[in-house]
Amino acid sequence: MNSLNHPRCTGVSRRTFLADTGMGFTGLALGALLFKDGVARGEAPTTFNPPDGKPHFTPKAKSVIWIFLGGGVSHVESFDVKPELTKYAGKSIDDTPYKDVMDPKKLRITEANPAHGGRKTIMGLNTGYKPYGQSGLVVGDWFKHIGECADDLAVVRSLWTAHNDHGAQLTWHTGRHPRDGGLPTIGSWISYGLGTLNENLPEFVVLGQPTNECCGGTWTFGASHLGPEHSGVRLGTDPKNPLPFITPAGNALTLAEQRENLSLLGKLNQLAGIEYPDDKDLRARIKSYELAFQMQTAVPETVELDKESAETKSLYGLDQANTKPFGEQCLVARRLVERGVRFVQLFHGSNSGGGAWDAHGGIKSNHTKLAAEVDKPIAGLLKDLKQRGLLKDTLVVWGTEFGRSPGAQGDGRDHHPQGFCAWLAGGGVKGGITHGVTDELGFHAVENRHYVTDIHATTLHLLGLDSHKLEVPGRKRLDIDHGDVIKEILT
Amino acid sequence: MKSTHIVWSLPPPIWPLLCVLISLAAATPSRATPANKKALATHLDSFLPAKLNQCTTCHLPSDKKAPALLDEFPHNPFGDRLRKVAAELEAAGKRPDLASRLAVIASEDSDGDGVDNFTELLLGTGPGDAKETPKKSDLAKAARLRTDFAKAQSVYRWRPFEPVQRPAPPKMATAASTKWARNPIDTFVAAEHERLKLKPRPEAPKEVLLRRVHLDLTGLAPTPDELDAFLKDTSPDAYEKVVDRLLADARHGERWGRHWMDVWRYSDWSGWNDQYRDSTPHIWRWRDWIVESLNSDKGYDRMVIEMLAGDELAPEDENALRATGFLVRNYKRYSREKWLEDTLAHTGKAFLGLTIGCAKCHNHMTDPIAQREYYQIRAIFEPHDVRFDRLPGEPDAMKAGLARIYDAKPAAVTHLLQRGDEHRPLTNAPIAPGALALLGGTFKVEPVTLPRLATQPDKREFVLKETRAASEKAVTDAQAALTKLKPEASANDRAEAELLLDLAKLRQQSTDLVLRLESLEDDGKKTTADWTKLATEANSIQRQIAAAEARQKLLPLKKAEADTQTKHDTAAKGTDKAAQDKVSKELDAAKKKTVEAEKVLAVVMKELAAPATNTFKPRVITSHPATSTGRRLAFAKWVANRENPLAARVAMNHIWLRHFSAAIVPSVDDFGANGRAPTHPQLLDWLAAEFMARDWSMKAMHRLIVTSTTYRMASTPDVANAKIDPDNRFLWRMSSRRLEAEAVRDNLLFVSGQLDMTRGGLEIDNKLGLTSRRRSLYLRTAAEKEVEFLQIFDSANVGECYERKQTVKPQQALALANSELAINQARALAKDLAAATAPDAFIRAAYRRTLAREPRPDEISICREFLKKAEPVDTKTTPAATAIQIQRARENLALVLLNHNDFVTVR
Repeated sequence: MNSLNHPRCTGVSRRTFLADTGMGFTGLALGALLFKDGVARGEAPTTFNPPDGKPHFTPKAKSVIWIFLGGGVSHVESFDVKPELTKYAGKSIDDTPYKDVMDPKKLRITEANPAHGGRKTIMGLNTGYKPYGQSGLVVGDWFKHIGECADDLAVVRSLWTAHNDHGAQLTWHTGRHPRDGGLPTIGSWISYGLGTLNENLPEFVVLGQPTNECCGGTWTFGASHLGPEHSGVRLGTDPKNPLPFITPAGNALTLAEQRENLSLLGKLNQLAGIEYPDDKDLRARIKSYELAFQMQTAVPETVELDKESAETKSLYGLDQANTKPFGEQCLVARRLVERGVRFVQLFHGSNSGGGAWDAHGGIKSNHTKLAAEVDKPIAGLLKDLKQRGLLKDTLVVWGTEFGRSPGAQGDGRDHHPQGFCAWLAGGGVKGGITHGVTDELGFHAVENRHYVTDIHATTLHLLGLDSHKLEVPGRKRLDIDHGDVIKEILT
Repeated sequence: MKSTHIVWSLPPPIWPLLCVLISLAAATPSRATPANKKALATHLDSFLPAKLNQCTTCHLPSDKKAPALLDEFPHNPFGDRLRKVAAELEAAGKRPDLASRLAVIASEDSDGDGVDNFTELLLGTGPGDAKETPKKSDLAKAARLRTDFAKAQSVYRWRPFEPVQRPAPPKMATAASTKWARNPIDTFVAAEHERLKLKPRPEAPKEVLLRRVHLDLTGLAPTPDELDAFLKDTSPDAYEKVVDRLLADARHGERWGRHWMDVWRYSDWSGWNDQYRDSTPHIWRWRDWIVESLNSDKGYDRMVIEMLAGDELAPEDENALRATGFLVRNYKRYSREKWLEDTLAHTGKAFLGLTIGCAKCHNHMTDPIAQREYYQIRAIFEPHDVRFDRLPGEPDAMKAGLARIYDAKPAAVTHLLQRGDEHRPLTNAPIAPGALALLGGTFKVEPVTLPRLATQPDKREFVLKETRAASEKAVTDAQAALTKLKPEASANDRAEAELLLDLAKLRQQSTDLVLRLESLEDDGKKTTADWTKLATEANSIQRQIAAAEARQKLLPLKKAEADTQTKHDTAAKGTDKAAQDKVSKELDAAKKKTVEAEKVLAVVMKELAAPATNTFKPRVITSHPATSTGRRLAFAKWVANRENPLAARVAMNHIWLRHFSAAIVPSVDDFGANGRAPTHPQLLDWLAAEFMARDWSMKAMHRLIVTSTTYRMASTPDVANAKIDPDNRFLWRMSSRRLEAEAVRDNLLFVSGQLDMTRGGLEIDNKLGLTSRRRSLYLRTAAEKEVEFLQIFDSANVGECYERKQTVKPQQALALANSELAINQARALAKDLAAATAPDAFIRAAYRRTLAREPRPDEISICREFLKKAEPVDTKTTPAATAIQIQRARENLALVLLNHNDFVTVR
C-alpha cells in the first residue's frame, strides 16, 4: 500500500488527477479528503510520472490548428505543381524521360499502389498555377486564396505514407494503419503532454464530420492508452446547439444545484475509485464532468459568431453558401485557440466512403468544387490569425492522407502514397519555403523524404515537446512512430 | 476417396485446369494432389525450401506437357510411400492428414540415397530422387533445422482457414494454476499466465460479481432483493444458480439480441418522408425473431441458415421467414448494386470474418479469394428480392406485413464486373453460384419447389377468411347505414343507401363465388359441371354489380344536374349576363356528364339482359415463382457447418468479446491475413469445437464462460501484472468497462422502477427516446433516425458495427446530468424511496438501487451532509415547504448517483 501523502507516489500527476488545486472547484476539497483518508485501498499501479504539463524546452507555438482534407488531395495540382505532366499528357510514363519511376526498386513503400502499373498514361494538369508573393512559391489555381498567403507557408513536398488505401487517414494522425488498432493521435499527445490553457474548454477539439469508420473513424481523434480524457471532443458550430443537453432540461436545476451535485459526484467518484487507482476511464469521467459543467457556458459563447465583424465573416467566406460551412469551422477554430484550446482538428470531405477528395473519376470537377469550399476559409484563417498577432503562437497544419497519381484513371487520378505534400504555417515555421522534392512527375519523394510522423515530430517540437520524453512504460514506440523533426523548416 | 475418383475419370483436360478443379472440389482435400502440395507448404511453412515446393517433390517429372490422367504423372518413391501410408493410417482409424503421414515416414529413406526423407526435405534435396543428396557440409545444418522446426511446431499455430480441431486443454505447470482452473477455459488462460508470469487477481467480491453477471446476461442491474438473496446464499453453487436464473430470463434475449443486432447490422428503415429507401418497414419482426431465438436457445447454425435462407428452408413458416430480415435489411431502393454489395460484404464479415467485399474489384490482396469467387457468391444472391406478405388482421401488407426474402428472379444471371464496375460486366461468361474454395466444405445447390401457399400467399386460409369476412362486413355496414337514415331523409339519399346495400350484397355473393371457383380450379376441377354452374352464376352476379355500379355513379350526377338547373333558373331571372353565361356552361357540362354515365349504364344493362356465360373476373392475387433456386440454402448450409473453419470461430470470438470486452481475435470482422493475431488461438479453437459439440448452443457457452474462474476475477489493478501486460490482453484480471448505450438508458429506467418490460413489437419513434419507458432495443434505429442520447454513448453505427467503442466524453456527462430522461428518473427514484424517511435509510436504499451495493460509511456521511445542507436553516419554514426542499435534495442525490462512475461502469 502506498501512502497518498505525496501525489507523486500515486503515479498520478497534478494535471491528470483532480485531487489537487489545479483544476476545477471540487479539486481542493477532494484532495484534502483523500489525504485525510491517508490510504489508497487499491494498489497504486506504477511509479511512472506522466507529464507535468510543462514543455520540455521553450516552445514556439501554443496551439495547433490541424486541417485534414479526407480522400487524398492531388499534390501535383495544389502545392507541388508538376508542369511536366501537361507536357507529356496522354503519353505512357514508359515513353517519357522519367520511365524509371516505375522501376520496382524505387517502389520501396510496402503498400505502394499496386494499380500504378496500370496508371501509366499521364494526365495533364487540370488547373493552372502561378507563383505567389515575394517567395514566388508556386500554387495551383484551385488554392489561389491560400496562394496569397504563400509567404507564410512552409510546404513539405516529399512526404510518403505506408498505405495505399484510405486507412492512411488514420496513418496521418497516428502513423499507423487501422489494422494496428487505435493509437494515440497527434492531438492526444499534445493534450497529454501540455494540458489545457483554459479550464472551461477541452484542450483538444474536433470540428466537422470525422472520417468514416472504414478509415479510422473516431480513432482519428482518439487517445488510446493515453486515456480517453485526451481524446478530441467534437463540437458543433451552431451556437444554439453546439452540444446536445447543454443545459438541464426544462431548467430543472439551478446553477447552484448543479454545482452542488457536481461537487458531491466528484467526492463519491473519488471514494469509489480508490480501489481502481489505475482506472483511466474514471479519471477521464471525473474530468469530463468538470469540463461539461464549464462548457455549458463557455461553448455557446465560443461558437457565437454574431459578434464577429462583417469583414471578418466575409474574410472566412461566411457570406457565401459554398464556403460558409468550412468558413464557420475555421472561424470557430480561431476563437478556440484565442481561448487557449491546444489542438483544434478540422475535418473536411468526410463521407460514407473514403472521403470526398477521393477523385478516382472526374477530378477536375471534384477538386474545383471541393477546393472552392475550403480555399477562402483557410486563407481567411491564416490572414485573420496574422492580423490579430495570433499566427506567431499558432501552428496551422494542412494535410491529407496521400496524393493522387500522375497517371490517369479515366478522368480521375488514383491513390498515391509514394509522394505527396502538406504545409505548415505560423508559430516557429519559416514562411515562403518549400522543403523536399518529388521527381518531375510527382511520383516519388526523392529528396529529404519524410514519413507522415515527421510532421507529428515537428508539430510536437514547435510546442516544446520531445515525443521520446512522452514515452509511456510498456508502450514502446518504434522510431518511425516518433518521427523526426523537420529542422529545415523551423525558424 | 471420392474426389480422387472424380479426378481420375475426367476426360482429357489440361493439367493446370485439373489443379483448379481439385482445389475447387475441396470437400475432401487431404489427398487431392494440389491440395497435398499446399498441405506440405502449410505444414513445413518457412522450413520448406522453395525448390521443393513443386509437383516433382512427390511425382516423377512428366514428359507430357498436359497429362490428362494421374497415371501419366506417377509418384516418385517418396510420393508413393506417402500415398500408401495414408491407407495404412486410415485402416488404423487415424486421420491420414499430411502431417501424420509425414511423421510416419520422416526417418525412412524412400529414395535409398542414404539420407532420410525429413533431412532431405529440410535441406531441399528431393526425398524421392536418389540423384539428389545433400552436401556433407549441410548435414550439420539439418540437426539445427530439426530443432528449430520442432520448436516452431510446439507453438500453437493459428490456422483459421482450416477446419476446427479441438486442442487438448493444456496441463498446468503449477499446483496453483490447477487449483485456480475451474473449467477448460481457465486452463488455456492459466497457461498464458504461467508463460508470462502473470498472477491472476482473486475472485471479485460477491456484489461486484452479481452486478457484473446481471448486466452481462440480461443488461439490467440486480435489484436489492436479488442482491440480498445472493449475499445470503452460502451454498457452493449460489453463483451457478444465479447464472441459470439469468439465462432462463427472457430479458437475456433482449440483451444478447442487441449484441447480435450490431453484428447483423439491424436497421429500421430510413428514407424520404414515407418512402423507404434503406432497409424496409416491418423489419422489427426480425428483431423479435432474434430475441425469441436466443431465449429459446435455437442453435446458432440454425439461426444462420434461417437468416440466409429461411424462405427456402421453411417456406410456410412465418416465424422462420422473419429471420430473412438479415437480408431484407440490405434493401436499397436506388441501387441494386450497392444492395448486393452490402449483402456480400456483410455476410462475409458477420458469419465468416472475411473481407470478401474486397474481391469485388480485384482478387483479394491478402487472402486467397479470387475476384471470380466473389461473383460466384453474388450469383447465390442474384435472384433474391424483398416482398411483403400479408399477416392476419391487416389486409394491407405495407401497413403491417412481413418483410421477407424470396427468389424473385430465379433465372437472373451474374457476370463478373471488371474492376467491380457495374457498367463493365463480362457478359460473355455467366458465373455459376459457388462458395469459397479457401474454406473447403460442400456447396450443393438443390432447387426448392415451393408449396402453393408460399407462392400464392393470398390463398392462405386466413386471407380467404378475412376476404369473406370483409365482404360480409360491408353488407352489415350498408344495412346499418340504411337503417340509420332518418325518416326525413331525401328520396335521393334513401335511393343511394338502398343501392349501396344492393351493391354490397352482390359483391359479397361475387366474392363467395369467386373463392369457391378458385378452390375448384386449384383442385383441378376447372370445367367440371360444378365449376360451370358457379362460373355462370358469378358472371351473372358480376354483371349485376356492373349495372349497380353504373347506377351508383349516375345518381350523384343526376342530383348535380338538377341542382345546376335550379341555379340556372334562378340566374335567368336576374340581369347579370356574365353569371348567366357561367351557369349555362356549368349546366351544359353537368348534362354531358349525365348523358355519358347513362350511356355506360345502357351498355351494362344490355349485357345484363344477355344470357349469362361462364366468364368471370377472378380474384386479383399475386403469384410468385414456384421454385426457389436453393442457392442461398446451399450457401447457408455451407456456412453454418461443422466443416466450415470460420463459422464457429467467428461466432465464439464475438461472444467472448462481449463477455470480456476484448476479443480473442481483435479484428472481429477479419480473420484473414489483414486481420490481427489472436491472443489465445488455442482457446478460441477449443471454444469453437465445444460450441459445435454442444450443438451450437449459445446458452451453454455463455454458462461455461461466466462460470469460469477467468470471468469471476476482480478487476482491481496489480503493479507487477500491469508491467508485463498493461492492456490485460492475457486476462490477469477482469477488465472494467463502460455500459453500452442501451444499457445506460435501460438501467436509468430500471433502477428508478420505470422500465416498461413489454417485449417486442413495432419499433418506437426515435423522437421518443427520452420519454418512452421501453427498453432501448425497441427504439427506432436507422440512418438519420437515431436516438441522440444513445449515440452519445456510442450506440451502434447502423451501417457497420462489429465492435462497440467505449469513449468517455463531456457530452456523456451532459446527457446524464441534464437530459429530461435522467432528471425524470431521478425524481421517480426519489419518490419511489419515500418510505425511507431517515436520511441514512434513503442513502442506503438509493445506493442499493442504483449501484447494487451498500454504501460505505464514508459515502453515507458525505451524502448525509449533502442532504442536510438542503434543510432550511430558517425555523419559520413551514413543514410543507421543508418537505419539498428535502425531497428536492433527495432527487438531486438520486441524480448524482445515476451519474456516478459506478453506475455506467461494470467492474
